[in-house]
Amino acid sequence: MSCTSCGSNSLTREDTTGELVCTSCGVLQKFDNYDAQVFGRDGPTGTYIHVGSSGRGSVLNYQDKKIYESHKLIDDVASKLDLTGQPSVEIRNMIDRITNGEFGLGDWFPILIGACGYVVMRNANRPLPLAEIASVLNCDVFELGRMISRVVRFLNLKLPEVDIVIMFERVIRSSNMPQLSELENEKLGRMREQGVFLLNCAVKWFLSTGRRPMPVVVAVLLFVAELNGVGLRIEDVATETHCVVSTCRKRYSELLEALVKVAQALPWGKDVNVKNILKNAIYVMSYMEMKSKEKRREVREGLSCGGVDLGDVVSECLKKDIEHEISGDGVESDTRYFEVEDGSGSAMRVPGEGDKIQLSHDCLNMIYTNFSNEIDGERLSGEHGEVLGRKRSAVYDLQTCSEWWNGKSEFSKKLLLKKILEKDVGLDIMPPSFVKGCMENQRRRAKINSAKVRIGKIMHPSRADAGDNHIAGVSECERSRKSRKKKRVDEIDWEDLIIETLLLHQVKEEEIEKGHYNTLLDLYVYNSGVM
Amino acid sequence: MAEQGGGLEGSQPVDLSKHPSGIVPTLQNIVSTVNLDCKLDLKQIALQARNAEYNPKRFAAVIMRIREPKTTALIFASGKMVCTGAKSEQQSKLAARKYARIIQKLGFPAKFKDFKIQNIVGSCDVKFPIRLEGLAYSHGAFSSVSYFSFSTQFCGLILSLLVQYEPELFPGLIYRMKQPKIVLLIFVSGKIVITGAKVRDETYTAFENIYPVLTEFRKVQQWYVIS
Repeated sequence: MSCTSCGSNSLTREDTTGELVCTSCGVLQKFDNYDAQVFGRDGPTGTYIHVGSSGRGSVLNYQDKKIYESHKLIDDVASKLDLTGQPSVEIRNMIDRITNGEFGLGDWFPILIGACGYVVMRNANRPLPLAEIASVLNCDVFELGRMISRVVRFLNLKLPEVDIVIMFERVIRSSNMPQLSELENEKLGRMREQGVFLLNCAVKWFLSTGRRPMPVVVAVLLFVAELNGVGLRIEDVATETHCVVSTCRKRYSELLEALVKVAQALPWGKDVNVKNILKNAIYVMSYMEMKSKEKRREVREGLSCGGVDLGDVVSECLKKDIEHEISGDGVESDTRYFEVEDGSGSAMRVPGEGDKIQLSHDCLNMIYTNFSNEIDGERLSGEHGEVLGRKRSAVYDLQTCSEWWNGKSEFSKKLLLKKILEKDVGLDIMPPSFVKGCMENQRRRAKINSAKVRIGKIMHPSRADAGDNHIAGVSECERSRKSRKKKRVDEIDWEDLIIETLLLHQVKEEEIEKGHYNTLLDLYVYNSGVM
Repeated sequence: MAEQGGGLEGSQPVDLSKHPSGIVPTLQNIVSTVNLDCKLDLKQIALQARNAEYNPKRFAAVIMRIREPKTTALIFASGKMVCTGAKSEQQSKLAARKYARIIQKLGFPAKFKDFKIQNIVGSCDVKFPIRLEGLAYSHGAFSSVSYFSFSTQFCGLILSLLVQYEPELFPGLIYRMKQPKIVLLIFVSGKIVITGAKVRDETYTAFENIYPVLTEFRKVQQWYVIS
């Protein structure tokens, strides 16, 4: 090949553009930079013109560039998700398999990376919260969820369940919050144990079933933090874990309510409410821990060989409450604990007082017997002198916590669901949504009954006296609801009218009780013309 | 009065041979399609009918509603129509006929061809809470006995999972029954949604199939009385 201008053979190719230049006259030669490529089903076809530095001789073409860029993106996303090393390699292999080695560069690609990251971590039993990945990728959780289910189906994987305990441990371990990261190991370990214990309880109490796990984790973390005197704000923890604050608050209050229910088993259970549950939390948790160590149906035997000194638990409890009273913010009827202190044991049977204390569990009977036999006023003040009662947002002394919590219960470890369900922590409750459904049904049942009475009165005015008895029953029922809800109007509302209409159309009461009014109206009332 | 209705069984005692559980799912929505077999000028329909809305930028069909049976129809220019919102099969057919009549009155030679129920959605309450984790865990093994289906997204064979419980994405457990091919949404409160049936009996069969499984994961018997 020779130069088109001078005929010289000294042509060289320029490095950057890949064009031919004559070295003797400097003339740029005619463009010969075509690279015949055929893109078809089996590879490239047709003519492809390289531009810029990707000319002939250069190794970069679109495919390589795409793969290079996508690898870079994978590494980038993986490092943002803290998945460097082996997980990152696994993600790359997984995407390689899914895309047949093509990788990709579209907007969908980061979501695929996130989905693969999630699948890899969940397979390794270290699940990442979806919300966290979604926030890193700046995409929607459901979009990510759809991609994950596609990946799972495509690779025909069976993912292990999301373990809420692992999620909790992850939050407590790798938290960026200074309040947690600066804690000493011992305290953090104790918080972890207590948290796991409470989480197992939450699973048992249906607080986590059908709910996003992270808000439950946040609620438990907040509770144990407060219990151990670590000042955490719910907003901070929620932001850190990408949860909605109001959901976390709701879970927190649900947890407190459940604990209050457990506390009813304590002798002073009636005085415990969501506001003072934190003060009583150590006793409630000791009680639950103790219960969890027993075997179901073997309460008494379990007690006799239990590792907890029941007398100690109770004496500590009592001491604590006395001090609350002294500091002036105890619950209303704390006086009974005073009497316990003064009389040291014998005062347990102060006339009138003993009757008030209701023992809701056999073991409490035992606690009391133990207590009244062993208690000694001097021992009380001597041994538990350092127990500090503080004001409402009391910061509990580290010493106190270590005394009551021994973490020996199996419940403080990660457990299988079956085990969790087998164990007894002194409370079995129904899921909140179920309870709500039951209450709605009861409300509708009451409405149906009152509607029946109203209809009966109009249809058979002569049988007034028979109806009156009924009315009395119903109105009583309504009154009780009134006192509970405090804003019950006696007027008939739209719902009553619909129920009356349905009853008049002979719809079964059980059907009405379900509350699908529109369906029933369509089926039985506005049903003209259907043969 | 009630004897006229399509949902007659509501006022009769439950047939225990058909519903051994004693619970009859309530049908909440019926979706049907019909071919009016003539090309339609949607703009004209939208202008002439009072109960129609048409926004071609948003959706390429006229949305029409009638009060009785309370339903909504999507009417396409091709003459195909989708009728939703009816509570029984008869109601759905009656509503579709009413829509066809409206179209006829607007001057189109509408017929009533190939009426078909496409989907039936039912719901019911088993009245006990369900341990979704346990159900998912024990039926997770079923995923290996899954069936094959084609997907347009990933050209290839795709394995579908029978049970999906991802509380991070959806509070209910999604149970894909193979026979009959029905999807059930199971919630912790004991409420069940049954969808995907073409005939009413499929809904009932699906529920009767799942009921014994659910009782295994129930918490307590019947109603929980709240003091």
